[in-house]
Amino acid sequence: MLNQSILVVSAMLMTSGLASAGPIEVDPDIEKYAKVGGVTGNLNSIGSDTLNNLMTLWAEGFQKNYPSVRTQIEGKGSSTAPPALIAATAQIGPMSRAMKPSEVDEFEKRFGYAPTKVRVAVDALAVYVNKDNPLDQLTIAQVDAMFSKTRLCGATGDLSTWGQTGIGGDWATRPISLYGRNSASGTYGYFKKNALCRGDYKDTVKEQPGSASVVQGVAEDLQGVGYSGIGYKTSGVKTLSLAKKSGGEYVATTPDMVLSGKYPLARFLYLYVNKKPGAALDPLVREFLNYVLSQEGQKVVLKDGYLPISAKIAATETANLK
Amino acid sequence: MTARAWRPREDRIGKFFTRLCGGALAVNLLLAIGLLGLIGFHGTAYFWPKGVAEVELVSGDVLIGEVHGWEEVPADRAATPGERRMRLKIGNRDLYGLDFRWVSESEVARVGYPADIVLLERLEWGNFYGRPVELHPSGVGAVDLRAGLAALHAEKIEQREQIEDFESGPLADVNYELEDLRLEERRIRLDAEEGAEPDSDRLAAVARLKATASKEYELLAAQLFDRRRELSRGSVRMQAADGQHKSIAVGDIVRILQPNEMGLFASVGLYVSRVWEFVSGDPRESNTEGGIFPAIFGTVMMVFLMSFAVAPLGVLAALYLREYAREGPVVRAVRIAVNNLAGVPSIVFGVFGLGFFVYLIGGTIDQVFYPEALPTPTYGTGGILWASLTLALLTVPVVIVAAEEGLAAVPRIVREGSLALGATKFETICKVVLPAAAPGILTGMILAMARAAGEVAPLMIVGMVKLAPSLPIDGRFPYVHLERKFMHLGFHVYDVGFQSPNVEAAQPLVFATALLLVGVVVAMNLVAIVVRNRLRRAYATSAV
Repeated sequence: MLNQSILVVSAMLMTSGLASAGPIEVDPDIEKYAKVGGVTGNLNSIGSDTLNNLMTLWAEGFQKNYPSVRTQIEGKGSSTAPPALIAATAQIGPMSRAMKPSEVDEFEKRFGYAPTKVRVAVDALAVYVNKDNPLDQLTIAQVDAMFSKTRLCGATGDLSTWGQTGIGGDWATRPISLYGRNSASGTYGYFKKNALCRGDYKDTVKEQPGSASVVQGVAEDLQGVGYSGIGYKTSGVKTLSLAKKSGGEYVATTPDMVLSGKYPLARFLYLYVNKKPGAALDPLVREFLNYVLSQEGQKVVLKDGYLPISAKIAATETANLK
Repeated sequence: MTARAWRPREDRIGKFFTRLCGGALAVNLLLAIGLLGLIGFHGTAYFWPKGVAEVELVSGDVLIGEVHGWEEVPADRAATPGERRMRLKIGNRDLYGLDFRWVSESEVARVGYPADIVLLERLEWGNFYGRPVELHPSGVGAVDLRAGLAALHAEKIEQREQIEDFESGPLADVNYELEDLRLEERRIRLDAEEGAEPDSDRLAAVARLKATASKEYELLAAQLFDRRRELSRGSVRMQAADGQHKSIAVGDIVRILQPNEMGLFASVGLYVSRVWEFVSGDPRESNTEGGIFPAIFGTVMMVFLMSFAVAPLGVLAALYLREYAREGPVVRAVRIAVNNLAGVPSIVFGVFGLGFFVYLIGGTIDQVFYPEALPTPTYGTGGILWASLTLALLTVPVVIVAAEEGLAAVPRIVREGSLALGATKFETICKVVLPAAAPGILTGMILAMARAAGEVAPLMIVGMVKLAPSLPIDGRFPYVHLERKFMHLGFHVYDVGFQSPNVEAAQPLVFATALLLVGVVVAMNLVAIVVRNRLRRAYATSAV
């Protein structure tokens, strides 16, 4: 549920003390990566396309430490990660949402234990409109009324023109043109769960093959609105401030708002691995995860437009992998 | 009687028809030229150096950046009717977050192109626009900052190249050795009977080798760290447009340019150097910068592998259908089935390839030949071999149909002549019919290769990936690694265009990549066409 993820993110913040203003830095308490010997082999990753670039950047950084490691990264959507882990065609399954119970069951059926989930970054899902759109803010109920035909978040009426969101002039009669992700994407699932209150998308949502193409679509379409990770922002779009309920505070997608848990659409990004309880991970996978959870790895997160995790979470996750 | 002069009947319908045909051709040409022109223009303009503008805003802020196009501001947002705005590439992603910014005409107070603006192309974080302030360690550039920076940069480039050679040379060798030993150890353990102790002598030998290799690795790694530390020493402090200072390691800089004072000669030199980097370099920054050599290599190699697989398969099938099989309902049904196969959506072939080649055949190969590497799959995951075979299945109908046509075009007299001279049917086919049909078969191959090079959808599930910098051919035994995943130009276009976070900055790269893909297809077709024409000339007399 929405509240759960907010709680988690805010709990994370309290322990990390990142609320201070100014440019976001990686928590200095996160340990630097220490190279070890003899790490080599093929590292295959199949999963989320939201994490695709991050994985590629991590792979580039990881290869700086281990020049002979071969990395191969596929990102066609979070739903492709569990089957790949089950079939062992990938050692790492990046996902932009947590595995569903049914996916965990499938995994358990095959291996007898649950997959290990590693939190690696924080993402904010932004609602984008064209840069020339005068609108600045929406409530979650309004977002739901735009994107959903079921309107489970409590909106009374459908929103189909921009005038209904309260902007006037030429905009009053302009129809809202919706952009979204395809259903294999974790972003699709997360938005459905948290912004649509598990309702159904309208049939008029133009489903795009990638997060960047949602943003591109909105940038080219004056009347467009879409959702994507904050890392995909370009100069052609702007992000809207969101309020949890009408009358509530509108929160912008600034890093401190996201990390403080006030922004309603914040989530963790995960890497899933197949770790037998009690047994050690393959050195290659172990070192890759150590790198991701290190100071260097978290700097890469910042570079890609996402937000780093706190030192405490990094320590917890590292301990879980032991 | 006077004979009337004969005049041809006026053929109005015929004239109209001629014009219609000509018109259709013109439309086709126009479409092709327009598309190629668009790709060509955007793809080639990307590498040409742009002037860097210093824009003073009415608000007093200053921006530095390249102007990337203009558009009209929508009426309800414009300060004056018909106002325009420019898209300014301000770079400095580490300071500003976004590469681009829109600036309306009404915001601008003054635009200048000062010669002292420096553009740094960096390995990470994209371009930096600004002015150099000082060098670290200080003293290096105290007299002349520019000359000092250039000298330091030249030194750092050399160091960087040495590090790259070191990484791909001795260090990689040791790493491979260690991996081989690790697998060897697992193999020994697997070889041992169930419950029995593994061969301790062999294990000890492996352990000894491993210890030596590990020691060597430690030494080399320490050397690498030293070299890296040396490389990271020396930085330049830059002043950005808004007055912020930023220290940039000279070792992370690809090029140092002063675009506003470059002459034509320097611009051409830079253009060539950038194109070369694009064609021969490895991708950087999750494929949005650097080169695309692995993608070119992957595409060409995959098409060649596919050709080797599809040619015998298609030609033999066509030979049987045309020369041996008795014409009848069965043969006709087979022919229809082959033709229909060409209409099956390509993604279906991809799914078949995944299930049959990757999971079934690949998974079996892994269990039989590579048990020590499991659970990491070797052939049981997508790879260039499986991708090529999947595409071979996809294109085999084209080859069968073209080869059949080619065989049918060989005149009866030629066959009968051959048979009359005492040749067997097999000899006739091998020595007379096939050579004469070769040009037709090659036409089929050309079509198949063009289709294969442009196909993306099925490859996404049988081994094509976003980033696979290790090529399927390299200097390590067994030199050709058919199990490796590969990069593909078509997928690169899709990936950079739809998936990249910095899609604005990467857009020109999409055009350049598309242009290159077209170029690769044209080049491969040209080779095939030349070969076909030679064959045609060689057998033109003997066939008839």
